[in-house]
Formats: sequence, structure tokens, C-alpha cells
Amino acid sequence: MNRMFIVLEALLVALLLAWSPLAAAADQSAAAQARRQVEQPLNNAPVWREVRSGEPQFTTVRGVETGVLIQSGGETWREIRNGPLTLYGGILLCLAVAVLAAFYMWRGPIKLHGPPTGRMIQRFSFAERFVHWTMAVSFVILMLTGLAMLFGKHVLLPLFGYSLFSWVAAFSKNLHNFVGPLFILSVLVFIPMFVRDNLFRSYDIQWLKKFGGLASGEHVPSHRFNAGEKLVFWGVVVVLGIVLGVTGLILDFPNFQQGRGIMQQASIVHAVAAMIAIAIILGHIYLGTIGMEGALDSMKTGYVDEAWAKEHHEYWYNDEMARQPDTAGQPVAGRGTAVPQA
Amino acid sequence: MARMKFLCDAERCIECNSCVTACKNEHEVPWGVNRRRVVTINDGVPGERSISVACMHCSDAPCMAVCPVDCFYRTDEGVVLHDKDLCIGCGYCFYACPFGAPQFPQSGAFGLRGKMDKCTFCAGGPEADGSEEEFRKYGRNRLAEGKLPICAEMCSTKALLGGDADVLADIYRERVTMRGKGAEIWGWTTAYGKPERQQEQQQERAKEGAKS
Repeated sequence: MNRMFIVLEALLVALLLAWSPLAAAADQSAAAQARRQVEQPLNNAPVWREVRSGEPQFTTVRGVETGVLIQSGGETWREIRNGPLTLYGGILLCLAVAVLAAFYMWRGPIKLHGPPTGRMIQRFSFAERFVHWTMAVSFVILMLTGLAMLFGKHVLLPLFGYSLFSWVAAFSKNLHNFVGPLFILSVLVFIPMFVRDNLFRSYDIQWLKKFGGLASGEHVPSHRFNAGEKLVFWGVVVVLGIVLGVTGLILDFPNFQQGRGIMQQASIVHAVAAMIAIAIILGHIYLGTIGMEGALDSMKTGYVDEAWAKEHHEYWYNDEMARQPDTAGQPVAGRGTAVPQA
Repeated sequence: MARMKFLCDAERCIECNSCVTACKNEHEVPWGVNRRRVVTINDGVPGERSISVACMHCSDAPCMAVCPVDCFYRTDEGVVLHDKDLCIGCGYCFYACPFGAPQFPQSGAFGLRGKMDKCTFCAGGPEADGSEEEFRKYGRNRLAEGKLPICAEMCSTKALLGGDADVLADIYRERVTMRGKGAEIWGWTTAYGKPERQQEQQQERAKEGAKS
């Protein structure tokens, strides 16, 4: 019993010590005010300093931060959101689309050099494709609804009018808030699933030096994923995905009574991270669809032609061939998986 | 045309919370929503001051600037109002407002907040003046009836004033002259910007700073 009291007492003392700078600051302001009443009763400057401090004061009204008279962070949030965030974010996204369009017109789709062999090897399992598409669909929904919330006022509102746009925005907001947690879940499953094949290797530097041959048309050998795909994995899925997830959760659950300050900061970080992620993922979507022959099929069916594997991921192709000489290289039919004919 | 503003005289406010109660009663504001609140600074210490705060109907209203569906509008008298039919409950006005004026009936998971509610300066909303629908959504429209906001009208010490800014400023100037203290008008710089003379001085100083 006695020991418990000692532990409790120690805890209390530790708490008090940790609290003391805060308590001291509040005491100081109160003491300054009391002293001012004696020294200069007509000058109540300590009170007016306190008003602008953003510290909570006494109020009988219950709620989040009801004791704060003036919270200055909101003005900063507004300046950033309505200013550089909208302007440079919009420019970044327009640039990303323009660069992809220009690249498509310059190079066209990246086609296979040799003829397809008709022999398919498995690139993605069903579970991998399922998680990828869950993440992809939720990301696209979040992207469209998020963009509607930031740019809709400037782009959609003049087109739709107030009533229709309000309906679209309400739908967007709710969809965004409910799909967000699904995206976080898919990211959390995706990362351990793909992390092994995305660890950087020494030869990745070659790919980066030649920028994957995107400009020259030369193919740089790689294992299952090339350095570009690895960068997207680490940069967008791991770093930006987690940043977006954490800041998103802060904004999505006001029921935990968090204050305005953290929500303003989370909102800015969320928007910046989203804008960068969208710009990069637009490139990923381009290469995965119209930009490269056979790329979409690999994520749709899970299988790629041997010629494709050899051209784009030579080391991985060699590994697969060495690993399962009995099954690899066989015609598709025996596998029981629906694969479109090349 | 009058420019409607609120003015709270901190030398007079006695923290009776009548303005809070009157507002809730007049507009039948839902549970959990308080359009007005009284905050006491350094409560219990000599020199404590109380201030009644609600939407200040700012000149350059942050809520209006950040609303993604543009549901806010300003009346000819400078009152900032919003259209609850357009409001999507995103909470951006709540992030932006320095006074914590925008309130939500819920703060649910997945950002389900309901429609924003705030002080209307007793001026209702976009519906027909005095209509039942307007009352249900925004409360009574006293301005349309030729009356001023109920909180200020029933303030027992006349600490809280609401009405034409020029008239308020005259009353306040007289008070300060008579009592010789308490010249600070709380929140006006934040809500309505710095007085023109002060702005000019600041610009002059900036120019001089650039020259030297």
C-alpha cells in the first residue's frame, strides 16, 4: 500500500514539474495584471496581450476552444490555401498533364520491339492486383473529389451554378471522407506486399542515369521493378501515402475534439502532399495505360508476354526462367486463368 | 447605408451571459450550438475583463473567402450571412475564422458536421424576410422588423452594442472621454482592419524603411 502511494506521489511530482512552465506563464500574466491594477489602474495592457495570445481563458460555454478569443492561425491558413496552394498547385497539375501530352505526341506509346511470343508468365498474383486496384480506384476517387473541393469554386461553379455545384461538392466531401480510410487500408496492405521487390539495388543507378531510356528508347535491364517504379513506390505510396493518411485522419474525425490549429496545419500538408502525389501518379497512370503496350494487361490479368518481360525487366525474366523452368514458358491455356490473346 | 458592427465594452461587461441566453432563446438555436459566448480573461484576478464574442461580420471575411461552395454573402448593411441550402458542412469556415464563430450541430466521425450555424446579426438568411422557413434555419430576422440584435438590445450594462458603426464609435468615444480609460475596442482590428490613418502611417514607415 505504502509503496503505491510513493509511486503515485512521484508521478504527481513529475506531472507538476512537467506542467510548471505552462503554469508559470499563466501565473505570470495573471500576476502582471494584478500588479498593473495597483501601479497603473487605467492601463490594462496585460489583458489585451492575453486576448491575442490564443491561449484558452475561462468561459461557461462548452465546446472545442470556446475559451480562445482570437485564433490567428486561420488567417495564415487562408492566405496559404487561397494563395500559393491554389495557384502553384493548379500550375503543377496543368504542367503535369501538358508534359504527358507532349511526351505522347513526341514518342507515342512505347511498343514492343520484337513480336509477342504468346508464352505468358505471371507478374502479379490475384491478391496483388486486388490490393493495387483497391488503392488505384480509391486514389482516383479521392483525387477527383479533392480537386473538386479546392478548384471546384473556380472551375465547376461557373459551369454548374450554385445549386448543382453545392450538391456535387457535398457528394464529393462525403465520398472523400468515407473512401479515405479505405485508401489508408490499401496502402498499409500494399507496402509489405511489394516492399521486397522495391528495395534499391546498385544497378538502379544505371536506370536513373539513362532515365529508363524513356527519351532514347533504350531498355535498361531491371528486376521485377525498375528504379522509376521503385521511386514511385517509396515516394508516393510509402512517404506521401502515409503523410496523406495521417493528415487525412486528423481532418476526417472532428469527433476527437482536436483544435483548429492542428487541423489548419494538417489541411495544408494534406493538400501539398496530394498535389505532388497526383502529379506523379498521372505519369504512372499514363505509362500504365496509353503510354506503354502491355503494361495495363499485366495489372489486369496478372500475366505478361515473355517478350515484354525480357524487354522491360530482363533480370526478373531471367530469374523467373531459372526459378521455374518447368512451368515458365508454357502456353497460357493450361493455367486456368483468363488471359486475353495477344 | 449603415455598416453594422458589434462592439463589446470590456470595462462594462459583467459576465452575466444574458446575451448568450437571449440569443439562444430568440433564435431557438439547437443544442450544442452557441452563436455567442462570454470569455473571461484571468478569471478571479484583480483587473479581470470579460468579453462577449460572436461573429463580428468582418469586412474581409475569412469564412467567405475559403468557402468551397461560396455559400456566404454580405448584405447592404455589411452583415455576413450564409445559405444553409448550399452549405456542405466541410468546416473550412471554422478553420479560417479567428473568433470561432462558425458552429456545427454535430462533430461526427468521417467529418459529418451538419450545416454550419452562426450569428446572423439577427438578420435571418436568404429566404423571404420573416418567413417560417427562415426562422427554422437561421432564427428571427429582427433587422427586417426594424430592431437591432437581441444580445445587444438586452445587455443590462450596455457593454455589448450592435448597430451602425459610426453611432457605436460615437457612443464609445464619449464613454472613453468620460471615464478616462478603456479605450481599447476589442476585436475591431482583426474584424474590420486597421483604421485608415494607421494604415497610411504604416505604409509611410515602410516607404521610409525602403529608402534608408
